[in-house]
Amino acid sequence: MADHGASKINHDNHLLLDQPLLRLPYELLRKNIRSAHYHIEWDTNAVKDLLKETATNSINQKASKQDVVNNLDQMLARMRGLKRKLSTYAEEENRLYRQSTARVAHLRELSDVHTVEDVKYEAWSRQRLDRLVVDYMLRHGYNESANALAKERNMLELVDIDTFIAMSKIRQSLENGSVQEALAWCNENKKELRKMQSNLEFQLRCQQYIELNRSSCPKPDAIAHARKYIVPYSDTYQTEVSNIAGLLAYRSDTPHEPYASLYSSARWKMLADLFTDAHLKLLGLPQFPLLHIALSSGLSALKTPACHSSQQNQSHQGQKSHKSATPGPGLDDDQEPRSHGTASLQTSVCPICSTELNALARNVPYAHHSKSHLLEHDLMLLPNGRVYGKAQLDDYADKSRLGEGEVKDLVTGEKFREDELKKVFIT
Amino acid sequence: MASEKPKLEFLEEEYRKINKLPRLTKAVENLDKIIELLSAAREQVASASESHTAITITKLQNPVKTAFEAVNDGLKGAAAAHKKMGRALDKSFPLKPLPTDHDAMADHVSLINRAITMHLLREGQFSVASTFINEVQSTLKREDSADLDEPMEEDDDEDEGMDADEAASVTSSDNYDLSSFHSRELQESFAEMYNILQELKARNLMPAITWARNNSVELEARGSNLEFELSRLQFVWLFKGPSVNGLPDDENNGQRGALQYARSNFARFQTRHLNEINRLACSMAFAPNIAASPYKQIFAIDTAFSDVASSFTREFCSLLGLSAESPLYLAATAGALALPQLMKYTQKTLAKGTEWTTSNEMAFETPLPESMLYHSIFVCPVSKEQTTDANPPMMIPCGHVLAKETLQKLCKGTRFKCPYCPSEGMIKDARQIIL
Repeated sequence: MADHGASKINHDNHLLLDQPLLRLPYELLRKNIRSAHYHIEWDTNAVKDLLKETATNSINQKASKQDVVNNLDQMLARMRGLKRKLSTYAEEENRLYRQSTARVAHLRELSDVHTVEDVKYEAWSRQRLDRLVVDYMLRHGYNESANALAKERNMLELVDIDTFIAMSKIRQSLENGSVQEALAWCNENKKELRKMQSNLEFQLRCQQYIELNRSSCPKPDAIAHARKYIVPYSDTYQTEVSNIAGLLAYRSDTPHEPYASLYSSARWKMLADLFTDAHLKLLGLPQFPLLHIALSSGLSALKTPACHSSQQNQSHQGQKSHKSATPGPGLDDDQEPRSHGTASLQTSVCPICSTELNALARNVPYAHHSKSHLLEHDLMLLPNGRVYGKAQLDDYADKSRLGEGEVKDLVTGEKFREDELKKVFIT
Repeated sequence: MASEKPKLEFLEEEYRKINKLPRLTKAVENLDKIIELLSAAREQVASASESHTAITITKLQNPVKTAFEAVNDGLKGAAAAHKKMGRALDKSFPLKPLPTDHDAMADHVSLINRAITMHLLREGQFSVASTFINEVQSTLKREDSADLDEPMEEDDDEDEGMDADEAASVTSSDNYDLSSFHSRELQESFAEMYNILQELKARNLMPAITWARNNSVELEARGSNLEFELSRLQFVWLFKGPSVNGLPDDENNGQRGALQYARSNFARFQTRHLNEINRLACSMAFAPNIAASPYKQIFAIDTAFSDVASSFTREFCSLLGLSAESPLYLAATAGALALPQLMKYTQKTLAKGTEWTTSNEMAFETPLPESMLYHSIFVCPVSKEQTTDANPPMMIPCGHVLAKETLQKLCKGTRFKCPYCPSEGMIKDARQIIL
């Protein structure tokens, strides 16, 4: 359905894909403040207590001058340490506020734009695509590319490279068989993970236990580990814990289920995915790249039945993309140009028909239309069954230097006489 | 919306206010105070006599306590500012959950990678594209070797499924290798396009003209006037003389240069563009006062260079079999425009408890601006359905068009009556048309 209303930008709804842009710094700030709070409490309480103790002892003559000096030195050391840590948190806080301001300013630019045709909208939309592509690259671990693109486009403030790189480091450590980093992360985010009812920590502990089982035999370490870390979960994850317990009796090359799966190296990938999911959820980010969402929505909205039609609208398109892609003199043996028409043909412009997206859009549903929309008026039917607008045919005949009363098919190049055409009536 | 301040402006202002509030930096400053106090006390105790120690220490407690409170205030301030931020966000940018249960693009990573690579090349981001291609390939290599370590038990799964997967992974990696090979060629092509565009930006038309000349047969077949447009612009550019075009002041420049250029280059265009050439020739007579002549339009070239650059890009891409505008960009933009409808629909179906099964056609409309409608759409007025390969548009002898299924339903035996006009016809006289 084509109406001018569709050109107007609905500001309320236009920024659906941009929600994480503002929400993420907000979440990171929360984490930052919490860490700062933790350290402040820890160190200031320690110093307060020590100061009180020193004062009391000094008054009671239980502490000498040297003792007091030593204690003061201790307090100073603590406070200096705290200051270092706190400075980093303060800096991070400032950076996140700066980032938030830059991001709001970027989104704010859109409120001055009212239609899609506005040239400012195009610039803004291109930048949005850059953001989506960087997010996609980061999600798939193509970190260098993400960095390169963000730098090139001067949009470091608008993307969260550091967060994703930190996440992918932990992810990689899991894929390489180490639970340490992931466990440390779980520790930092205990509260949230509990709220989410995530079983990540449990699974990580299981993996530790499995590794201990794999190596030692007999297995006192494994048992000790299980007692400490796994037994607490025996109510929540009954089946898993009993399987784990059974593992003691089986060697790592056992073919018996469920133990074989527990020993399998595929578990590392499972853990990596579990970690990624938990991390993304924690930050309020969708589980798959925003680009996927934009593409599934966009491909469907643009797709028509004609885009994958067996009609030969894009036959020469297909040929072209598989032949050499360098533009050279496009001559065949008989000096006929390889491509005929496509002078102004829409299939050469339609994004779904393009080589880049055609395969990708094959399995998405096409757009629903309740009204006809014709690109040309005064439609004429050629004897070969194709329909073009009169103006279109005249224009092409002109450019192709045809004689009077001759027309040429824009796609197939066939020539016909004007009197062979029939008028088509579509309202 | 007119009375209410636009939400983002409001948010921006709130952020500005929040930014001014004291927060963690304040806490750090107060920590400094504590450190000062402690240092001073330490020096005092160390240098003074034993008897003064107790007093110094006791006197220290209160100021330190105050300073600690100030540190805590800094922390509280940070928390308060953060809370304000959250409230501002909720008010002007409330969270709307995205449709995240079904990822239609999950299995097509290599296709998306290819689309992104081509997009980067189109945009002239050659180094980023190289980095990307390398990173993708090394990730693929890693994944392949990891797959090899997989235990063989999985082969025992349904043979059919495994074969299909195997086949898919083979073809997808084939696709990828093919496209990475392609990318090198594409990269060269785009590099060439970029060079020519850079030259155009610098007002040097010669590389573009050379390219157009080399591809003149193809361009003509497409009905493109690019070569002539470029030559004409070169003529005008030379005509304007060294003061405008910055080229050396010799016989190749100025009116004389332009005329010489026309003489050597316009002959090939006589058949198609004789009129235009005549105009250009006549315009020279008005050289002293072009601005007041009937030919001033030809010489008003403010946008001519960017126009011709767009034409050039369009033709160059067409000859490569590519569209002029990045499809990835168009798809993403269309996606952002259509997403609200998708969400509204998903919410409604969730509320009703029904499910949207992904069929061939979407169940709701996603209106796009006219500039983004690339195909003619025919919706049969009787069945209200779009025509497809399976149900194509048919034209009946009176010139009206119906969907094939509609036509079949309208038929009584072999005859039908057109729903638009009184004419009747036989079904064999209906023709399938291609819109």
